[in-house]
Amino acid sequence: DPNMAAVAEKSTKERLLSVLDDLEVLSRELIEMLALSRSQKLPQPGEDTQILELLVQRDREFQELMEVAQQQGKVHQEMQLLEKEVEKRDSDIQQLQKQLKEAEHILATAVYQAKEKLKSIDKARKGSISSEEIIKYAHRISASNAVCAPLNWVPGDPRRPYPTDLEMRSGMLGHMANLPTNGVNGHLPGDALAAGRLPDVLTPNYHWHSSDVPVGMLPPHHGNDFGLEPPGHNKENEDDVEAMSTDSSSSSSDSD
Amino acid sequence: VTQIMEHSEQARNRFQSELEFIQCLANPNYLNFLAQRGFLRERPFINYLKYLLYWKEPEYAKFLKYPHCLHMLELLQYEHFRKELVNAQCAKFIDEQQLLHWQHYSRKRTRLQQALAEQQQPQQQPPPHGNAATK
Repeated sequence: DPNMAAVAEKSTKERLLSVLDDLEVLSRELIEMLALSRSQKLPQPGEDTQILELLVQRDREFQELMEVAQQQGKVHQEMQLLEKEVEKRDSDIQQLQKQLKEAEHILATAVYQAKEKLKSIDKARKGSISSEEIIKYAHRISASNAVCAPLNWVPGDPRRPYPTDLEMRSGMLGHMANLPTNGVNGHLPGDALAAGRLPDVLTPNYHWHSSDVPVGMLPPHHGNDFGLEPPGHNKENEDDVEAMSTDSSSSSSDSD
Repeated sequence: VTQIMEHSEQARNRFQSELEFIQCLANPNYLNFLAQRGFLRERPFINYLKYLLYWKEPEYAKFLKYPHCLHMLELLQYEHFRKELVNAQCAKFIDEQQLLHWQHYSRKRTRLQQALAEQQQPQQQPPPHGNAATK
């Protein structure tokens, strides 16, 4: 019903004001008529009654509208109260949200750090070696002077932190190639014995190509990308190689 | 059965030969020798050097008497290093530095012993100053 819609859109204030306007108009007309009726007869009989009736009607409307306005005022107040409640709840929720976010952040950090810790525990466990083995190994490489020079070392001493020519040839690889032992740089058993020192290969401890390999110890598998003979241990190569060391007389250090 | 035994003996031999070979790499003169014969340029050999890196694992490394070889092996993974090894002076330089490094701890120990010996001497007389020795 379009009329109802039109009427519903008019606010109470507008309606009140329009009724007041009507009342004003009507009362003015009535007063004018009363003023005129002193001097003249009424042009339209019954007009005064009409106006009076209209006045009464409008007044009644006005009273009704005032009641409506009052009701609406109460409702409006309730609405305001509720709105305040809603605001309070909203801010409560926001506060909770903030706290939850903080908690989440703290937990996430804690979880992350715990994971890191687990990772490093894992890593440490994987790399753990028995202290006994480490001590054994440390003894092995120090006692043989492999990593630390002997305290009485002087230039001319044939000992080195690496396998010398003689040691290389007396190993398994050297024997595979069946080489004559023409050594270099005084690294021959004869020379060393004459100097009163045993060559490393004859020392009783810690052979550098150890034969105490446990049975289960296997090198990792490899395909045959490289099927080479280890070079330098073959007879054929020996012809053009007189010395594996440099041309200069001795390979020991003169400095310090 | 003999086939299986052969297989494990083969593996043991391979283990031993690889153990020997990798330790030879600690010898800079040997490296120079390899470089001059062109081995360090061959792809299969380079692959073999990469394969040998397994000796860095503790369960294998414990068999190495000459641990310098591991450092050399790591350096050998780089083409630049392999190229430089052709020069005799390069190998000689490496050898000298290696020996100096090898002697480092002995020298340090000797110095410490000397310092200790010097410290103990003035304890017989009261020191002229109240300060402790600055060694």
